[in-house]
Amino acid sequence: MNPAVAQSPIVSITQVTKDYTLGKVVVPALRGVDLQVHPGEFISIAGPSGSGKTTLLNLIGCVDTATGGVVRVAGQDTKQLSERQLTHLRLHTIGFIFQSFNLVSVLDVFQNVEFPLLLQRKLDKAQRRERVMQLLEQVGLAHHAKHRPNELSGGQRQRVAVARALVTRPQLVLADEPTANLDSVTGQNIIDLMKELNQKEGTTFIFSTHDAKVMNHANAVVRLADGKILDRLTPAEATRAMAAGAEAH
Amino acid sequence: MGHFRLLMQVAFRNLFSSKINLLIGGIIFFGTLLVVVGGALLDSMDDAMSRSIIGSVAGHIQVYSDESKDKLSLYGDWTGEPDLTVLDDFSRVKPVLEKHPNVKTVVPMGTSGALITSGNTVDLTLARLRDLYKQRAEKGETPELRENIDSVKSHVRQMVALMEEQKAKSRELLSDAAVDPQEAEALARARTDAFWDSFEEDPFDSLEFLENRIAPQLPDGDLLDLRYVGTDLDAFQRTFDRMEIVDGQPVPTGKRGMLLSEFYYENFLKLKSALRLDNIKQERDVNKKRIADDPQLQRWVKENQTQTREILFQLDPIKTRLATERLQKALGSQEPSLEKLLSAFFTTTDENFDERYQRFYADLAPLLELYRLRMGDTITITAFTRSGYVQSVNMKVYGTYQFNGLEKSAMAGLINLMDLMSFRDLYGYLSADKKAEIAELQQASGLKDVARADAEESLFGADSGNTLVADATPGLIDDSKSFEGGMGALRREDLAARVYSQEEIEKGVALNAAVILKDPTKLDQTMRELTQAGKDAGLKLRVVSWQTAAGFLGQFVTMAKMVLYFAVFIIFVVALVIINNAMMMATLQRVREVGTMRAIGAQRSFILSMVLVETVVLGLVFGAGGMLLGSGIMSALNSSGIPAGNEALYFFFSGPRLHPTLSVGNLVAALVIVLVVSAISTLYPAFLATRVSPLQAMQTDE
Repeated sequence: MNPAVAQSPIVSITQVTKDYTLGKVVVPALRGVDLQVHPGEFISIAGPSGSGKTTLLNLIGCVDTATGGVVRVAGQDTKQLSERQLTHLRLHTIGFIFQSFNLVSVLDVFQNVEFPLLLQRKLDKAQRRERVMQLLEQVGLAHHAKHRPNELSGGQRQRVAVARALVTRPQLVLADEPTANLDSVTGQNIIDLMKELNQKEGTTFIFSTHDAKVMNHANAVVRLADGKILDRLTPAEATRAMAAGAEAH
Repeated sequence: MGHFRLLMQVAFRNLFSSKINLLIGGIIFFGTLLVVVGGALLDSMDDAMSRSIIGSVAGHIQVYSDESKDKLSLYGDWTGEPDLTVLDDFSRVKPVLEKHPNVKTVVPMGTSGALITSGNTVDLTLARLRDLYKQRAEKGETPELRENIDSVKSHVRQMVALMEEQKAKSRELLSDAAVDPQEAEALARARTDAFWDSFEEDPFDSLEFLENRIAPQLPDGDLLDLRYVGTDLDAFQRTFDRMEIVDGQPVPTGKRGMLLSEFYYENFLKLKSALRLDNIKQERDVNKKRIADDPQLQRWVKENQTQTREILFQLDPIKTRLATERLQKALGSQEPSLEKLLSAFFTTTDENFDERYQRFYADLAPLLELYRLRMGDTITITAFTRSGYVQSVNMKVYGTYQFNGLEKSAMAGLINLMDLMSFRDLYGYLSADKKAEIAELQQASGLKDVARADAEESLFGADSGNTLVADATPGLIDDSKSFEGGMGALRREDLAARVYSQEEIEKGVALNAAVILKDPTKLDQTMRELTQAGKDAGLKLRVVSWQTAAGFLGQFVTMAKMVLYFAVFIIFVVALVIINNAMMMATLQRVREVGTMRAIGAQRSFILSMVLVETVVLGLVFGAGGMLLGSGIMSALNSSGIPAGNEALYFFFSGPRLHPTLSVGNLVAALVIVLVVSAISTLYPAFLATRVSPLQAMQTDE
């Protein structure tokens, strides 16, 4: 890996605020956040509901823009990009894993994974097939390629989603509560899978969670509360801090 | 390419995934079916009807005077015959038209109508009796003549008896005030033996009494409307090859005469009881109706039971006896009254109808005159001429004709044909004969022609005294002289025998002319060129297509098509609204899916084409289904044919069955409509779908 690239952060957030308008009331979701994420990192964003985890991920994922401050993804200031360019950036740079899997129900497993490649229009049919099968292999669903999502269990579906997020070889994968809809063992497996891919492919992962067991797998835990970053800890520190917080309650 | 494949995959997978799609598909399916079947049926009908119109009287093009007040309407319009200005001299028009390379033939025509009366049975019988007495007066009595006279006399006597019976019956219904005592008295006198015993003393006096006092009491002799086309009969038959003589013979070349349409002959001149039997048989055999449950058939049966007078009056005593015997045998009855026997005989049910029908034609028909007119008879046609006076022409009926395939059509069947010379007489324009006749009369009376401009001077000028016009003595008109003239009466006698040359037929007025083309596809062009040719020749001609010339009838299918397309339009507008709503719902249901695609990196254009492709695929799949079923129905109809259930349909079907065909045009029309409708109805939902934010992918199920 090029050290120069490794040096510059893939995500750089400075003094970012985000306000939502609910009727006439302005609700601040983020109130000045600074965050740097470097390539190859496996970062967990932790915090109670309403702390701004999803908002932060949306800003990083280019599906939303900040009210104030600068969000740079892969070196580009998202505020300066048009809607088309943002879509383009998402397609080529970012992979998404959703809490509710969000597979296209009418397509089978193979087609779901192939979907982003078709949008990219970079690979021919054989190359796509090879890429898709390789990923399905990695997530252990090669034999389920022809199944429809509704024929799979939740864990299997999320693994398809992981494969879909990684099939374009994005620099960055965002996962918003990827394990929230899964039981703890399956959730564990998904995190293991993500970690494995992080180590093998060097893909940067940012995922939100409020589950301490999940956090333990991260390189770093960014704690968020009331729209602000509390601190950036190691998983062990974070677990202790959260335990303390819980006692304080 | 992969892009499109993905779109198609998503579209096809989505096709049956939601009930809404099935609803939309269903609407498209039936809409397409309607467009295909309805369109093909109407096209086929249009085609068949154009064959009917072109092949009967219209030809491809009709030409008439441009100075006409009304438009030419060959089948009449709501207000009766159109007011047309005549083409003064057809012989000048014909060569102009025939010069055009695409014109095959030109047939002169004129359409008009008159009332004819079929005559009062008593009147007719009395006339026969009077003839016999005249013969006796001229040639003396022979045994044969005596026998004839006695037979007709007893027939008349029987009629009087029947009239009295009927009077007695109607008296039960009417108050005394409604009974004319003089009528009753006359009838009573005619019933007495004394009257008949003294009949021979002064037969003409007795006849006069019967003619003046008895015959008018019989409300017979209904007026019949007779529509006729005066034409060059030979050219007509050559031109309209669907025409064929059914009964009798064609009018000999150049002679005056008439061909009745077989339909008219059957439906208006046939004995009504027989016609009703025919109609019942037709409905039973062709339309599978039953007397037991069809009110129309029951009415005919009822009418046959009660309206037996027409038969009773026809039969003289000998035939009455024969008929009575035959019916008694047929019915196994001892009833002596023929009226009651007939009533019983005509009490037909589904069980005995066929037997009675067969028996009627085998036993009764030979005793009856089934038609009021026989081939070779002469009828008097009385018409109001254009200038308002009444003109009568005696016409020999040579035969009946029909247009092949249009036998049962009232539209084509109400057209009777006559020679052009007689038509001109009835229409009030002077034929060469008439002109000569009038000139002769003028000469005889010492009149001379005065130009209109000079009339005043002639009348009131210096020497006006010598040229004063008619010097008639009121009240002393001898009609044989002043109206016929010695020579005129003779001429009228020979008119029927005279043979006219082609030149005479063509030199004179016609109202319109039918033009047959060699290549009918060049109709519009030929019409334009003929209009120009008319102008160049200094003739004021109006050139119209058969469709225009057929008046409302020509527009009928166009109207039906408009109704169909309006219905289709409404259906598809409804479909548009429903599809639009359904697609909105479908889009809302798929907000997360669309949001996910957007988040993953699908551009708005992708979402737009995805929704559009989906509806178009939906439209194509169900539309193709509709087309397939439609084609199946059409091919089934094509091989089985649609029976023409009633007389009007014969004309529209151009025959007893319509074998409709499906054209590529019908399918293309259906395809285009389906595509346009499904695309339009999806535009807004598709637009909405593109507005779905990728943020919506993040929302959780709850």
